[in-house]
Amino acid sequence: MFPDGIPAFEQERSFLPIRQPHNEPLVFLQSLSTPELCFVTLPAQSVCPGFQLNMTSEDLHALGLAADRQPTVGRDVLCLFILSLEENAPPTANLLAPIVVNLETMRARQAIQTDSSYSHRERLPLREAACS
Amino acid sequence: MLVMRRRAGESILIGDDIEIQIIQIGESRIKIGITAPRSVAVTTKEVHLVRQENLAAAQLQSVAALRHMLDRLIDGSADAEK
Repeated sequence: MFPDGIPAFEQERSFLPIRQPHNEPLVFLQSLSTPELCFVTLPAQSVCPGFQLNMTSEDLHALGLAADRQPTVGRDVLCLFILSLEENAPPTANLLAPIVVNLETMRARQAIQTDSSYSHRERLPLREAACS
Repeated sequence: MLVMRRRAGESILIGDDIEIQIIQIGESRIKIGITAPRSVAVTTKEVHLVRQENLAAAQLQSVAALRHMLDRLIDGSADAEK
């Protein structure tokens, strides 16, 4: 489902999205080849409803999406932000490079946004300006 | 930071074996060509940042850290509602 893996984990091709009722709205992306590799993510719509994708034509093509428009989050694609946590700091979400999943084919890719005003370390909770 | 002015077609050399050529200058983007030894990793800064961030995110495995993060998230959303 990730034909090219993701940066730093190029060999990881398959992840299983896991949701747990008591951990909503988190989505766990569990690697199917490395048991100890699991990313914790948040769906864009749950934390940043106005998030606009700005994918490169290369990424659109790789996911089999129409090249002439950006996909609609929730309808065409699932969009997940990978979370990360450093000691003594608020958790951050990677809005620069969301995981984008084509809902029709389940092909996925970490799509680095072009002309992005978003950072790879946006603090949670997200400032409203980042999501309007 | 060293700043140099170059025109399309001109080059910059870094050391003996890295050449950066300005191929084309557009309105908002430029096309550059890079010649470097195979041992030198060439990547965009964004890919490098995402790489580092993915490695950091993959360390987020302990339940305690996750719990802590969840609590912070819940605190955060509670604050936002006030």
